[in-house]
Amino acid sequence: MIRLDGVSYAYPDAVRPVLENVSLDIGRGAIAGILGASGAGKTTLAKIMAGFIPAVDGGELSGTVSVDGQGMGDLPLAEAVSRVGLVIQNPFNQISGARYTVREEIAFGLENFGVARPEMQGRVDEVAELLNLGPLLDRSPYELSGGQQQLVAIASMIVLRTPVLVMDEPTSQLDPAGTRMVFDVLSTLRGTGITVVIFEHKLELLHQHADALYVLADRSIVAAGDPTDILADARLAEWHIGSTRYTRAARAAQDRGLLAGLQHLPVSLEQAVAVFADDGGAR
Amino acid sequence: MSSTVYVDRGSPVHRLNPMTKLVAMLCVIVIVFALPVWWVSGLVLAVAIIPVAVISRCGRTLSRISATILLPILVVLFVVQGLTFPGGKTALVSWGVFTVTSEGLHFALGIGLRLVCLVLASVLLVLTTHPGDLMSALTARGMSPKFGYIISSTLQLIPAFRDRANAILLAQQARGLSVKGSPLRRIKIMMPLLGPLILGMFTDVEDRSTAMEARGFGSTARRTSLVPVPDSSVQRVSRWVMPAVSLAVIVVPFATGAL
Repeated sequence: MIRLDGVSYAYPDAVRPVLENVSLDIGRGAIAGILGASGAGKTTLAKIMAGFIPAVDGGELSGTVSVDGQGMGDLPLAEAVSRVGLVIQNPFNQISGARYTVREEIAFGLENFGVARPEMQGRVDEVAELLNLGPLLDRSPYELSGGQQQLVAIASMIVLRTPVLVMDEPTSQLDPAGTRMVFDVLSTLRGTGITVVIFEHKLELLHQHADALYVLADRSIVAAGDPTDILADARLAEWHIGSTRYTRAARAAQDRGLLAGLQHLPVSLEQAVAVFADDGGAR
Repeated sequence: MSSTVYVDRGSPVHRLNPMTKLVAMLCVIVIVFALPVWWVSGLVLAVAIIPVAVISRCGRTLSRISATILLPILVVLFVVQGLTFPGGKTALVSWGVFTVTSEGLHFALGIGLRLVCLVLASVLLVLTTHPGDLMSALTARGMSPKFGYIISSTLQLIPAFRDRANAILLAQQARGLSVKGSPLRRIKIMMPLLGPLILGMFTDVEDRSTAMEARGFGSTARRTSLVPVPDSSVQRVSRWVMPAVSLAVIVVPFATGAL
């Protein structure tokens, strides 16, 4: 669905590129997580996928980005955003301020694209039902919690029916309840056919929700694959990404002479319980 | 945290089309500034602005915001004009080399009342009109959505600026910063806070711009609206009548030699 081939990018006047030879291919309806340390270029990659780079930020972009086989490179921004939706970190700053209620806020993008009123109403109701936003529709977006505001931002994108949704650290400014709300949306979107690319640091939640993980480090994609394999990769520490608390617990146990001979470290609660139960049983 | 100064009271004033309110505000401002007589401003204040403020049920907020804006200006105006008006002959109070003249105060009253009308009418528009409705109304009349957004978002800038400034100040106070003392000391303390405040606002603007573009704000399609902005034939007519009446009110006194 969304494919990047040999994408390299340098900001205007930059000495060296932020990204070099990035390639990935994420299929229709998949949920892909992209990991990377702060400063690894995650936001830059998110903006490239969504068509904001180079259209807005300028700079030199090489390689190709395509959605459903169609190149994004030469599209004007207004057309690119109708193919790839973008949700950013700060929920408050995504409220347009131009609309009074959540219902109108969700419809704002449809208004910009000139969608007729009856269709708009139908699409807003449909998205509100999908994300369980019904009780919030007549409230002001400014009255909502951070998590609810982020849901409204996601709804504002989904309502546009873009085949791809890119989420750039959507929970970084949210509390645990808000974070849970956003990740629950991923479960809801599964099966809708929307391809989701989420840039995140919350490894355990990514393990639960993503179909595949990609690691962005040293300006390129350095590892890709099944979430369990990626999160157990010892090189994550070298890439300053860390590991799940279950993996850390297993490593600490190994340092103390426990779990000897264990090849695959646990990355989730279930795996940890199984590993420690086996080890306890063996003793 | 709200990002607008709009106060939702559901009054008849709130329900008016934003263009009607905008035209009315412009007419009031043009009249008080075109007719250089203090009592015209006083009359406009008494028969138009204050009654509308009462009907809008935003009087308290209007008074608070307007007083914050106007008080320092009016104090300076009356002091400076009262003491230094060039045509001042009738001394009211003398204190050493300073003399407050009746002509100076009269001049300050004329200017002051105009400023009061200007500020009250503008703030009243902002308090009773949601920025989104204003933007929709302007866009529906052919104005570029971007221009409409600049106008409506400017109205939001002050509360957004205030909220961020309060957050920065609280964060600094939590680290032991004392903001007590003389006005000069307070200004000195506040200066280092300007950096994060302004940089933060730049980040906010960039974020907002990205979020708006992601929702097709740059699209060239003809805009539609989920909720139409209310309008009526009476209001449409009044938007022509108000400027015509204002023009007459301005021209007639000059034409008849009354002014």
